[in-house]
Amino acid sequence: MTETTVTPERPLVVEEGESKAGFIGQNIPRKEDKRLVQGEGVFFDDVKRHEMGFVHFVRSPYAHARIKSVDVSKALELDGVYGTLTGDEVAILTDPFFELSTPPGANIKDYALAAGRVRHVGDPVAAVVARTRELARDATELVEVDYEPLPHVLDGEESLKDEVVLHEEAGSNTVWSGVFDWGDFDAAVEDADHVVRIERLHFDRFSSTPLECSGCLVEFNRGTGQWTIHGTHQMPGVGAIWMAPALRVGIDKLRFISQDIGGGFGNKITLHPQYTACCLLARKLNRPVQWTEWRTDQHTANTHGNERTFLDVTVPVKADGTMLGFSVRAIDDCGAFPRYEPLGCIIWAQVTPGCYRWRNVRVDFTQVCTNKSPVAPNRGYSRMQHLWLTERIVDIVAGELGLDPIEVRKKNYVKHEEFPYETPNGCVYDSGDYARCLDIALELIGYDSLEEKRQDAESRGKVFGIGIGSTLDSGTNNFGQSMILNPELQFSGNNEVATAKLDIFGEVVVTLGTVPQGQGHETTTAQVVADILGCTPDEINVRAGHDTYWNSNAGLSGTYASQFAVTGLGAVKGAADKLADEMKQLAAAVFGCGPDDIELVASQARIKGNPEAALPFMALGAILNANNAGLPPELDVTLNVRYVFRPQFEKPDLERKFGNLTLTYATQIHACAVEIDPETGVYEIVDYAAVDDCGNRIHPQIVEGQVHGATAQALGAATHEIFTYDEEGNLLTPNFYDYHVPHALDMPPMKTGYIESTSPFTPLGAKGMGEGGGAGIHAVCAALQNALGKKGEGPIVWRSCNPYEGVWDLLQKPEETRKLVSVETR
Amino acid sequence: MLLREVEYARPASVQEALRLLGSHEGARALAGGQTLINVMKARAASPDVLVDLADIGELRGIELASDGTVTIGAMTTYTDIVDSAEARARPILGEVCKQIADVQVRNRGTVGGNVCSNDPTNHLPPLLVAVGATMTILGQGGERSVPASEFFLGVYMTAAGPGELLTKISVPPGKGDGFASVPIGRDGTCIVNVAASLDSGAPTLAIGCVDAVPVVLTPDSAAEETVRAAVRGANLDPPSDVHASADYRRHLAEVLALRAVAQAAGRT
Amino acid sequence: MEAVSSRTITVEVNGVQYEREVEARRLLIHFIRDDLNLTGSHIGCDTGNCGACSVLIDGVLVKSCMMLAVQADGAKIETVEGLASDGELNGLQQAFSDHHALQCGYCTPGMLMSATALLRENASPSEEEIRKGIQGNICRCTGYVNIVEAIKAAAQ
Repeated sequence: MTETTVTPERPLVVEEGESKAGFIGQNIPRKEDKRLVQGEGVFFDDVKRHEMGFVHFVRSPYAHARIKSVDVSKALELDGVYGTLTGDEVAILTDPFFELSTPPGANIKDYALAAGRVRHVGDPVAAVVARTRELARDATELVEVDYEPLPHVLDGEESLKDEVVLHEEAGSNTVWSGVFDWGDFDAAVEDADHVVRIERLHFDRFSSTPLECSGCLVEFNRGTGQWTIHGTHQMPGVGAIWMAPALRVGIDKLRFISQDIGGGFGNKITLHPQYTACCLLARKLNRPVQWTEWRTDQHTANTHGNERTFLDVTVPVKADGTMLGFSVRAIDDCGAFPRYEPLGCIIWAQVTPGCYRWRNVRVDFTQVCTNKSPVAPNRGYSRMQHLWLTERIVDIVAGELGLDPIEVRKKNYVKHEEFPYETPNGCVYDSGDYARCLDIALELIGYDSLEEKRQDAESRGKVFGIGIGSTLDSGTNNFGQSMILNPELQFSGNNEVATAKLDIFGEVVVTLGTVPQGQGHETTTAQVVADILGCTPDEINVRAGHDTYWNSNAGLSGTYASQFAVTGLGAVKGAADKLADEMKQLAAAVFGCGPDDIELVASQARIKGNPEAALPFMALGAILNANNAGLPPELDVTLNVRYVFRPQFEKPDLERKFGNLTLTYATQIHACAVEIDPETGVYEIVDYAAVDDCGNRIHPQIVEGQVHGATAQALGAATHEIFTYDEEGNLLTPNFYDYHVPHALDMPPMKTGYIESTSPFTPLGAKGMGEGGGAGIHAVCAALQNALGKKGEGPIVWRSCNPYEGVWDLLQKPEETRKLVSVETR
Repeated sequence: MLLREVEYARPASVQEALRLLGSHEGARALAGGQTLINVMKARAASPDVLVDLADIGELRGIELASDGTVTIGAMTTYTDIVDSAEARARPILGEVCKQIADVQVRNRGTVGGNVCSNDPTNHLPPLLVAVGATMTILGQGGERSVPASEFFLGVYMTAAGPGELLTKISVPPGKGDGFASVPIGRDGTCIVNVAASLDSGAPTLAIGCVDAVPVVLTPDSAAEETVRAAVRGANLDPPSDVHASADYRRHLAEVLALRAVAQAAGRT
Repeated sequence: MEAVSSRTITVEVNGVQYEREVEARRLLIHFIRDDLNLTGSHIGCDTGNCGACSVLIDGVLVKSCMMLAVQADGAKIETVEGLASDGELNGLQQAFSDHHALQCGYCTPGMLMSATALLRENASPSEEEIRKGIQGNICRCTGYVNIVEAIKAAAQ
C-alpha cells in the first residue's frame, strides 16, 4: 500500500554525516560486489550449453534497399554450420511486432529479420548458426544477398517530406504527430516585454553504449513449447508482449533469465527482434543458440538515443526576466523502426516546463523514421532532450537580454514552497528546492572566485566560461500517457512485484521483478527488508537478477525509467510488511497473545516488554512449514508473500493531453567551468559540481555513483560522443575507436552535493534517480555559451554535442549562429 | 571481431622470419599486434600467414653508442622506450611514446609496428622524420639503411617491402625537439600532430595526419612568421573525416607547427 | 618450421596449467573465456579500446583481445579469478567494494588487473598516475571517480 505523507516526518535537508536509525540511509557493503570483484558474475555470455550453436547475423550494407534474393546455400555447405534463418521464413513463421502508434505508424511491419527491404545499414537480413563463433562469422560471408539499393533519407526534416518513404505499408515516414497546447501562449506573447526567437536548436544522436553488448542464449523445450532466454533484456514483460504474439504463443512460453547485466541504460529494451530470431533458430535447429552482439553491431543497429530538432522556438519574456512559457516545433528522428516509439512523443511532457514556473507552452511534435539505427529509451529518454531545450532557452534569453543566468534561473524556478507543483499539463512535481541546489552547486564550484578564475585563464591565453545545467529525473511512469498518443492502447498506471518468504530454516528470501544492471537492487532491497523484519541485511537473501519463473514480475516489470526506489522498493516494502505481519500473527498464535503485542527485533519475533518470550525466525519457519499441527484454523498465513506495488495514477484526460504522467521528480543541478583554447577550439572542463536531490536516499553511496556515472555519460555526449553518418548512410562512429567515450584522464575534477526533499507520494519518501536527465550536457553548453558570447553578440551554442571543431566554428563564424536568434522588444 | 583462418609461425631468428615471409605471398610480420590484430578483427585485411617476431631477441633492445646515437630494435615496445635510460639521450622519444593510447597498448605495441603500419595518425612517423632517424631494413638481398624521410611511402606503405623486415631504428642524440598534437580525448588518436626538431640549427618539421605520409618542412628559421609561411606554402590537402574537416586540420597544422617549434626552441 | 593453422599450446593461468589445441585465429580472450571457461575477463568492444579483457601475461598488462591465443603459448597468465584466495578478497578487491568502485561489474575484472599492474610498479601512485594507469579501461557506469578512490585506498 502506498503511504502518502504530505508533511514529511524527517527534515527536508539532511547534512552529511547525520546518522539515522535502521539500515535505510546507510552505506552498507553491496551484496553484488563479492561475486563481481572476483569475476564470478554471470553475464549472458558466461552461460554455456552443451552443443550450443553460435549465431551471427548477416547485415545490410545499404541504408535502404529492396532485398531481391537471399541465398544461404553456400553457407549451409560450410562444415560446422548448423543452420540459417532468413526474412522470408520469419515472415511466414511470425506476425509483425505490435506497433504502439496510430496510423500511419501503426501500419509499419516490423519483423525479426528484414523481410523484403532493409532500412538501415546493419539491419539484420539473415542469421547463421555454427559450431564456433568464428565459423558463424565465416559463414555469413557465404550468404549471398542480392540488393537493389533505393534512395535513402538521413535527416529528420528531409524525411518529413515523404519523398523517400521507408515503410510502404505506412505510406509516410511520420510515426506520430500532434500539437500540445497548454495555458494561453498567444496571450503570453501579447503580455511580453520581449519575444526571443531561436530559429533552430539540435539535440544530437548519441547513446550510453553500455560496456556489455546485448545478446542471449536461447533454449527451446520441444516437449513444452517453452523458450528460455538468458539475456540482457531490461523490460522482459514488455519484451514478452512483443514476442509472444509474434511467435504465436502465450506469454508463459517465454521465460527470461538474467543474473548480471553489464549496463543497460535503456539500450537493452528493444531486443525483441533479435531475440525472436534466436527463438526461431533454437526451435528450428533443436539446439541452444547463442547470440553475442559485437560493439560495431551495437553502435550500428542497437540502439541510439532520440535525435531531436527544435525549430521556431519562441519565448515571451517580461522585462524583469520572468519567462511566460515557450512554443516550439519539434522533429524527433527515431531511426528506421519506432519499436518503443512513439512513446518519446509524450514522455517529454513529464517535464513540460523543465524546472520553471512557465504556464504557457505549445509544442508541435512530429516523429519521423529515417534510414538510421533505430532508437531506444536511452538514459534520460525524451525528457533529457526537452530539458536541454528549456536550459538552452534560459541561457540564450538571459544572454540576449543581458541578464545573469543564475538570477534568471532563480527567478523562474519553481519555488520550494510551491511543491507539490502542478505543471500546465497536470503533472505534479512532488518536491524539491531548486534554488537551494543551485546555491550548493555554485558554492562547490567556487562561484565567488569566478573573476579570479577568469583572469587566471586569460593570463594563460584561454577563454573561460561557467555554466549551469538544471535537470529533472522524472520517474515511475504512468503508462496511461501512451493513450494520449494512441487512445486504442490498453496501457495505464504502472506496477512492480516482489516476493518475500521465510524458509523452513528461517532464512528470508526475496525475489524482485526488476532487471538490475548495476544499480544495487539486491543491496537496497536488503536494507528495506532488514529494517522491516528487525534483522540485518546480511540475513536477507535477495536472489540475484531476474527469472520469469520466480513469478515475481508483472507486465511492466523491469529496470528503466528511474523508478526502482519507488516501484521496486515499493513492492519490496509491501511484501516485507505483509511478511512481517504474518510473522507477528504466527508468533501471536504461538504465544497466545495479539499480533499487536509482537515486535520483530534482532531476528526474532518477541512479545513487547518481554524479550524472553521470543521466537527466532527459524522457529517461525519451521513451525509453519513442518510443525504446524495445533495452529488455530483461522490463522491465514503462508510466510510466502507476493506483493504488487501499484502507484496511484489516473488515466489522463486525452482531450486536453492533461494528467499526472510520473510519480516523482528528482533534481540535478550541475555547474561547469570550461577553458577554451581560442587558437584551436580545444576546450577542457576544469571544474565541475553536481548537486542531486532524490528525496530520501536509501543508500547514499549508490546515489552518488549514479550521479557520477550519469555525469560522465553526459560529458561524453557534450564533447565527443555523436553518431554521425556519411552520405551513404554508413555510421562513421561504429566502435570505441571513433566514438570516443570518456576515459579516466578525460574526467574533470567532480564535486557532488546532496539535499533530500522527501517525496510525499512514495512508500519510502525516495525517488528514482538513475537516469539523471543529462545535466552535464546542459551545463557544458551553457559554459561554452558563457565563454563565447556576450549580451546580444557572439555565437550561439545550438547543438548538444560540441566537439573541438564545433567550438572552432563558433569562434570563427559567430555570425552564422548569431542569426539563429532574434529579440523583439515591445 | 572474429578473424578469418590464418596460419601462424613463431621463428627464433631473423633469417627464419625472412624465409617465412618470403615463401608465402600473403604473409605478414606480427609485432605487437596492436594494429594488425584489430585490422584482422575487422576483416579489413586477412593475411594468410602471420610470422610472429616475438621470440627474435636480436630485434629487441635499446643501445646507446658512445656518440650518443640511440639504436632501438624494431620489436622494442613503447613501454620499453618510456622506461629506458638509454632512450633518454633523445628525451622526446619517451615523452611521445608515453602519450600513445594506454598502458596495455604501450606494453605490447612496438616502434617497428607503429612505423611500418604507417597509419597517417600515428605518432612515430612524424617524430622519427623530425629527429632524423635512420631505419635499417633486412631483406633477402641483405641489409640497407634508409633515412626516415625516405622510409614512409604511402598509407600503410613503407620502404620495408614484402619479404623484408625493419630491424632497427637509429636516432641521433639531441634535446631540441618538440611535439604538439590535438588528440581525441587524452592520449587518444591524433587529429593532427606535428614533430619539430631544432637540433640541426634550422627547424625540421614533420606534420602528421594531413597526408598519406608525414609532410616534411624545413623553414629557414624558427621565427613564427617563417614557420607559418612554410606551413601555408606547403598547400596542405588534409583528409576530412568524422573527427575533423580538411579546413580544421589545415588550421591545426599551422597552430601545432608553431607550438612544436616553440617547444623545441625552449629546449635547445 | 612451418606455419600452422592450429597448434597445441600450454599456458599457466592463475597457477594452473592448461594444454589445449587451438586455432591460430582464436583470440586469447576467447580462449580464456570459452576454452578455459574462465569467464571473469570480459569483452566490451571489437577494436581493442575498452580494456575489459585486460589480463597479465608474464606480469605485463595487456588486452587479451589484441593477442592470439597461440601468442600466449608458454606464458603465465593472471586473470581476475586469481586475485582472491579461497574466497577472501584481496586488498584491492575489498577497496573496490568499500568505495563503490563498481556498479554493473562488467569493466571491473579488467580494471582490477590494470590496478594490480599499476600498484606492483608504483606503490603510491598520484591521482594522475592512477588515471593514466586505468586509461585503457572504459567504464560507463561509475565515471571513474570511485575507482580512483579505491585504488588510492588500496595503495595505502
